[in-house]
Amino acid sequence: MQDLSISATAAAPAITTDWSAGLVRLQGDSYPENAFELFQPLLDWIGAFLASESRPLQLELRLLYLNTSSVRIMMDALDQLEAAHRRGFPVTVRWYYDARNERVAELAEEFREDCTFPFDIIAE
Amino acid sequence: MSSVHDKDAFDLELEAALANPAWQDHPLHALLQQLQQRYAERTTILERLTRIADQYQLAERERGLSFAQRYERQLRQLEKIVRISDQYQHMLRDLNNELQRTASHDLLTGLFNRRYLFDRLSDELAKAVRGQGGFALAMGDVDFFKQINDSCGHDVGDAALCHVARMIEAPLREYDLCGRWGGEEFLLLFPAGDLESAQQAIQRIRQQLLDQPFIHDGQICPLTLSFGCTTYQHGESITAILKRVDEALYRAKHAGRDCIELA
Repeated sequence: MQDLSISATAAAPAITTDWSAGLVRLQGDSYPENAFELFQPLLDWIGAFLASESRPLQLELRLLYLNTSSVRIMMDALDQLEAAHRRGFPVTVRWYYDARNERVAELAEEFREDCTFPFDIIAE
Repeated sequence: MSSVHDKDAFDLELEAALANPAWQDHPLHALLQQLQQRYAERTTILERLTRIADQYQLAERERGLSFAQRYERQLRQLEKIVRISDQYQHMLRDLNNELQRTASHDLLTGLFNRRYLFDRLSDELAKAVRGQGGFALAMGDVDFFKQINDSCGHDVGDAALCHVARMIEAPLREYDLCGRWGGEEFLLLFPAGDLESAQQAIQRIRQQLLDQPFIHDGQICPLTLSFGCTTYQHGESITAILKRVDEALYRAKHAGRDCIELA
């Protein structure tokens, strides 16, 4: 599967994947016009990795603002990880936030609510 | 397939009658025996049908339950999306409020900044042009402020400016405006005010500064302000009125400071 390297725009986060390292990075604001079109390659990439590898997969998130569609997609991605975790697959999420903006940490906690895999919320 | 139905009293009585040697030669015995066989077969079929129908019913019920479960799960997911989305909206609203505050307020003193004052001055001027009343304007400047900065340091200078800001805003009426115009200069806008009311407000500010002097290191540091004060004159521009109030302030400085000059 080809890695993704999508640059950030004013309305969309930077999306990068590293198949060999088992790493996905998202960084920035996310309120694109068509979130499903933007994120589908990422959901496909995660799906392919989980289907063909048994190595650990880590999501590194530095997300600030998400619109409703992006929230929905993040929840889908986390559902994918949760299902993999229940099958014994080693997945982790590390959600980094600016220590001056505690609101982002509170939001990350909302996302973490239904996840049973390791999900760290880290101040930077 | 054998019948599993429980034999009742009638079944047992019929069996006993058919087995009784005394009835073996009765003309109806053979017919009755056939009837009993058919009855047993029908009963078996009926029970089988019932079992199959029950299984269908059970499967339908489970399917209904799984729909209900899926519906519940999707509902929970939707509720969560809405909840998180609402929080992001709150975050944006707070950020927006903060940006608005930053855009309109002076970081040091918390008073309105030059940009906001300029906008409000434009509004008042537009109202005055439409004939909806005039306004008074005053510019105050802290006397010998450079000496405070030079002798005590900029942090004390900043504290002095904050103190002046509190003393200026305290005695103002609710609809009067004050803000930091720049450096140690403060602008006062009196909507619907005239020279007399503006002068009274400035006197209250000067009195407030006397009553509550600035204290540094336990020592009273007397702070005074010089003021220029004027009113809107029909047809003039913002530049013109600001120039006039500035000139009045300059005259107040020239006249020995700690006073008001009217224009």
